[in-house]
Amino acid sequence: MTPTVSASGLSLRHGGTRALDDVSLRLSAGVTGLLGPNGAGKTTLLRVLATAVPADRGSFTVLGHDPGTSRGRQEVRRRLGYLPQTPGFHPDFTAFEFVDYVAILKELTDRAARHREVRRVLDEVGLGGVRGKRIRKLSGGMRQRVALAAALVGDPGFLVLDEPTVGLDPEQRMRFRELIAQAGEGRTVLLSTHQTEDVAMLCHRVVVLAGGTVRFDGTPAELTARAAGRVWSSTERDPGAKAGWRTGLGTFRNVGDPPAGADLLEPTLEDGYLLTLDGAGTEVAA
Amino acid sequence: MRGVTGALAGPVRRTLPWRALGAAGTLGLLLAGAPALTGAEPTDGQTLVLLRGIALTGALGLAFLLDDPARHLTAPVPTRRPARQALRVALVAPPAALWWTAVLLLTPSGTRPPVGDVTLEAAVICALALAGATVAVRLTDEPRPGPSVAAALLLAAVLAPLLAPESWALFVPPGDERWAAAHDRWAVLLCAALVVAAVGAAEPLRRGRLR
Repeated sequence: MTPTVSASGLSLRHGGTRALDDVSLRLSAGVTGLLGPNGAGKTTLLRVLATAVPADRGSFTVLGHDPGTSRGRQEVRRRLGYLPQTPGFHPDFTAFEFVDYVAILKELTDRAARHREVRRVLDEVGLGGVRGKRIRKLSGGMRQRVALAAALVGDPGFLVLDEPTVGLDPEQRMRFRELIAQAGEGRTVLLSTHQTEDVAMLCHRVVVLAGGTVRFDGTPAELTARAAGRVWSSTERDPGAKAGWRTGLGTFRNVGDPPAGADLLEPTLEDGYLLTLDGAGTEVAA
Repeated sequence: MRGVTGALAGPVRRTLPWRALGAAGTLGLLLAGAPALTGAEPTDGQTLVLLRGIALTGALGLAFLLDDPARHLTAPVPTRRPARQALRVALVAPPAALWWTAVLLLTPSGTRPPVGDVTLEAAVICALALAGATVAVRLTDEPRPGPSVAAALLLAAVLAPLLAPESWALFVPPGDERWAAAHDRWAVLLCAALVVAAVGAAEPLRRGRLR
């Protein structure tokens, strides 16, 4: 399958910090999850791929276009939807007016066609009924959906979503998962998140980033498999465990290298993620 | 591109920082009308200082022109940043010109300095505010760089008369023999500010020293 995004050797420094260090990846249709601790470089990578900030070194293409040239960047931006971590809005705009504004910025100049497209994406994210409501009067979850609608307007082939479910209650998160899964049908979605459940439920592929480098790139099942035989239950916290916590059943769930004869448990994607970070020398919170 | 600009004019007009611009404009008009309201009769020099202060007030309002809370969401769109910023400037330019005309008309005509020269000074201060705003947008991720730009402009306005070398005097009184030479320097400054504004507005393809 031809990749939608092909990146090679992306590097970027913020002051003295290496935010991205020789990141290479290929993304194809479907939802790819981007996991990593705070400061791992997830947002930086997303901003680079969204052409919001250029990299110091390396190159990438989106749908065959090279954003390293002025024309190529325009072509990439015509095919891109971007939902940043903190979208920000003009609160006096209605949901319709705001998405319409973004649609104009995306060069949809035919008024009638544009308005049809804006209504379509607002309906798609379930905001058709409140499209005339001012953004200042919408809830946090609804605002996030307005931002998603703005990202979806123009039917982009590559969608970049930076922690879209942060701050949402469980019901809103569930709704958002549906929307992201829907958005991933037929297009490439790169989803940055701290929620391993989101990745487990939505993504056909997962990339783990830590310290600006790719620590894992594979399927969620492969990431989970990294923890096979390395999760066990005990009545006391095992001091040899990389991480361990008391569960609701009163027993301890330990992740790391189990002692002989340990009561092994079925690993989760989160266990695999924790062990991947630990292997990278990243602190694992117990 | 023209179609996009035309369609954008309405929504962009609504995103402009009208509160900051309105506050600066109102304050400027009040200052300009103060001599008439109080019956004071300012000297030539006092009127010039008043006009310079009013120009600075207007420029402080313009420092907020590129504030955009939706900046991150609208960063990677095909409509280029210089075009979007130019549209903001174009939308605010006619009311700004009207405002400055009103300011000049409100100041006492007997002590009013040469209109062209003092307008050049005002244009430079406003261009410096815009240059500061474009550079702030380029170098930072701040959606609202206005307060920082305004603070920097205010500081520069306080320090410039104190630190400018005598051989490069800018703030000369009317009637001073250095007036014409000083305004040549103001013209150079205007060009420099416009160049900085243009460089600041451009979106780099590669990160260099100016990101």
